[in-house]
Amino acid sequence: MSTAAARTNGLALFLLPSVLLFALFFFVPIGLMAVMSLLTGNPVVAPHVGFTARHYLRIINDPYYLEVIWTTIRIGLWTTLVSLLIGYPLAHWMARIRSRAGHAALLMAVLAPMLTGIVVRTFAWMALLSDTGVINQTLISLGLVIRPVQLMYNETGIVIGLVHIYVPFMVLTLTGVIGRIDERLEQAAENLGASPLRSFLEVTLPLSLPGILAGSLLVFALSISAYVTPILLGGFQVMTLPILIYQQISANFNIGFAAALGMVLLLVSLILIVAYNRVLGLVSGQHDLQ
Amino acid sequence: MPLSPKALNRRRFLALSASVGIGALAAPHLARAEEPVLNVTGWGGKWGDIMSSDIGPAFEKEFKCKLKTDTALPFLPKLQASSRSAPIYDVLHTNSNEQWAAVEMGLVEPKVDPRLVPNLADVYPYAVSDKIVGVSIFTSAIGLGMRTDKGYAGITSWKELWDAKYNGVRGGYVIPVNSLGQAFVMMCGTLFGKGESDLDAAYAALEKLKPIKLVDFTGAMEKLFLSGEVCLGVIHDSGIYRYEGQNQPIDFVTPAEGVLSLEQVLTITPGSKVKELANAYVNYMLRPEVQKRLAETVWYSPANKKVKLDAKYDAKLLTTPEKVSKLIQVDWKWYNAQKDEIDQRVNRIFRA
Amino acid sequence: MSPAAQHTPSQQLSRELAAAGSTSGTRNSANVQRRPSAARKRTRPGRVLYLAVNIAVLTFLLAPIAIVVVFALNPTPFIQFPPVGVSLRWFHKFFAARDFMHALGFSLEVAALTTSCATLLGGCAALAIARGNPPGARVVLAIMLSPLMLPAILTGLALFQTYVLLDVGRPLWGLVAGHTLVTIPYVVRTTLAVLHNFDLRLEEAARNLGASPSRTFFEVTLPLVKPGVLAGAIFAFIVSFDQFPVSLFLVSPGNETLPITLFNYLKFDLDGTIGAASVVSILLALLVVIALDRTVGLRAYVKL
Repeated sequence: MSTAAARTNGLALFLLPSVLLFALFFFVPIGLMAVMSLLTGNPVVAPHVGFTARHYLRIINDPYYLEVIWTTIRIGLWTTLVSLLIGYPLAHWMARIRSRAGHAALLMAVLAPMLTGIVVRTFAWMALLSDTGVINQTLISLGLVIRPVQLMYNETGIVIGLVHIYVPFMVLTLTGVIGRIDERLEQAAENLGASPLRSFLEVTLPLSLPGILAGSLLVFALSISAYVTPILLGGFQVMTLPILIYQQISANFNIGFAAALGMVLLLVSLILIVAYNRVLGLVSGQHDLQ
Repeated sequence: MPLSPKALNRRRFLALSASVGIGALAAPHLARAEEPVLNVTGWGGKWGDIMSSDIGPAFEKEFKCKLKTDTALPFLPKLQASSRSAPIYDVLHTNSNEQWAAVEMGLVEPKVDPRLVPNLADVYPYAVSDKIVGVSIFTSAIGLGMRTDKGYAGITSWKELWDAKYNGVRGGYVIPVNSLGQAFVMMCGTLFGKGESDLDAAYAALEKLKPIKLVDFTGAMEKLFLSGEVCLGVIHDSGIYRYEGQNQPIDFVTPAEGVLSLEQVLTITPGSKVKELANAYVNYMLRPEVQKRLAETVWYSPANKKVKLDAKYDAKLLTTPEKVSKLIQVDWKWYNAQKDEIDQRVNRIFRA
Repeated sequence: MSPAAQHTPSQQLSRELAAAGSTSGTRNSANVQRRPSAARKRTRPGRVLYLAVNIAVLTFLLAPIAIVVVFALNPTPFIQFPPVGVSLRWFHKFFAARDFMHALGFSLEVAALTTSCATLLGGCAALAIARGNPPGARVVLAIMLSPLMLPAILTGLALFQTYVLLDVGRPLWGLVAGHTLVTIPYVVRTTLAVLHNFDLRLEEAARNLGASPSRTFFEVTLPLVKPGVLAGAIFAFIVSFDQFPVSLFLVSPGNETLPITLFNYLKFDLDGTIGAASVVSILLALLVVIALDRTVGLRAYVKL
């Protein structure tokens, strides 16, 4: 029935500008990085460089690096889960709200955190979570605690900060998908006697699964690449891959090792995308990435 | 698909023309091509303010050039990635540890020529000692900072930092990225072991230093002191003294075992196309009146012996041969050679 | 979906266009008006819980902004709570500081250029993937989304090294190219989302009525794809304005974006100036969002 089915047509040419951009500005540089991760030095400046696997061997042989990789993934998973749990209700409200002013207000409330800028937002969380910050001062003055509660300088603080930054991404992804769910399906379920909760669990939730998976994928990918927030809210004592990569570049001047770590991070991300796509295909029966 | 040389040239040409087009859009002052440009690095904050408002423009006027200062840290990776024959900086201003690393990588010249920089004759010995590459234009003393409103009394030793009563309000640095942190490692070796190269003793001491709040830059440490998050921590005298007159309850402690030297060092890149101007800049920064202005703004101790600071600065800063002789200069060449191992160890020690 | 057949082609087409042209979002509100009072029967505790959770989430989202505003107005030069007063000194400092103003302007400029490039390239690419059926479409799509997966700091460093190899220095187009790379995925995602929900029968109908393929494209496909592209453009703008790791390596002295300037400032001075910078950014962006909403009607557009 659809005429635009499997034949490649002229519209495919519209890909060319992007292909050019990616080839020049993504593949060449990343390829360069991959090559650097296998060299003994920087060929631009050093006279004799050879190939070596020592950077990768260093990562594999030392359990510390595996721990760093796992910490990075763990923070990503927690961030994604919490973002989903608190983003879904808001996305649902935003998708179903009837008044235009209400929708605009919600939209601005969701966009505003994104507009503050990552540096300032993290710094605002420091103002909230640090020992002399807002929350601790309030708790102490209300007499609920005697010593400050450690809300940052650990993974908890990082997850809180990252969730705050990425929830808008989750909400905006979900609200589109939820908005496109035909409300008459929910009506039909309720007319057939289902409670609102059941109608939600058995109609709305399954239909919003593509959005859930797309949003989760986005938030996970972004959170495992985060740098500013983990560094500031982790108090420099939680080590994630991006932080280690940055440290190798800026303080150890070891671009080869940093490149190897970067390739590892890329590999982890790619494995997860493929896994997600498989799950997406299996669960929702759709065949296209949303 | 392999790129033919023609395709590469064509792309370069396109890129160049696009660059020219957009460049004309973006930077109107690009047109001032007659004046030579000197690319240097510098700190932000108060240093950056005074350089861009007073000292920089005065230099530009006197030497008829344009001074471009990069304040976006980190500097060394950018210099490292740029080509040797066209380095992105002509003069590199950073701390001594990074300068040594730069020399090892062949990025900067190890010594400054006294014929091209006459003011070198007037500096203290520490500024051109064998522990320094290039020339140190200022220095600070690394010691302990403390809050004066917590009832701490009689702090005279570095070892006070290990006392359990400071748990939760102790401050230190991220060793891999910060020179104060690195100097502190060597101090731990001296305090608890056989000397600054006794790393095993240092690691053991660092383990016992937890819990501790870490920052990557002294500016952040200053703020932790001001807000009370840290009540005793490692900091340089400049970081405490610069709040003089603001009624802040903080003070600097000179420990009995000695203070470490945190130098501000200038070096020149070998591939620089404006070497004469670069040397002139180094010489300019060593002029007594320039040194005085900067020292009194950020509370650094000037390297030029001939500088006469106002009384209140003179009292606290290191302005006599006797005072500067007490500064401990550590062996950065040795430290940089162990850096990878040290970083691996301390990253493991300081985990949440 | 509306049943076919009884109406003439033009009547059917206008009905379908009317249904789709009000876009998928408002279609629901049209249906909702016909809905019986089943909505009212939603249990009170359930409704209260739903609202409570949402209010809590909103508080979570907006609390740090409130803190930033408080901090921007508090005269003390470090983090202090409770605040001691209200003062505009940080705003004065922000507006007086040449560096900040220049950085703000430069960030806006880079973001505008990036948005244009990303929207154009990303929109075309999405169109090509969805309608052009290129070989290996799924791989192509994965590749186009991959800049999100690689830590941006590596992308920045890799680009810097490449520019050095090509001996072009750190030009503006280099920075814009880097930003475009990391924002294209958003445009592609949103445009594809709209294209996938597109009713192909609209295009068929247009062609059945005699429109040429290019006319169909310009008068049916493009206008209906606009919401997705616009949403992507908004994202591209925000992401570029706030972009940090790529800019870190690609900005040159004197031409820094605002996040870099703020981060450097934070290293030396942790006072209310960054709060002031932030408040100004938020107000600016809110103005843009309000203006867009008033003129174009954002409701249907901002859906990923």
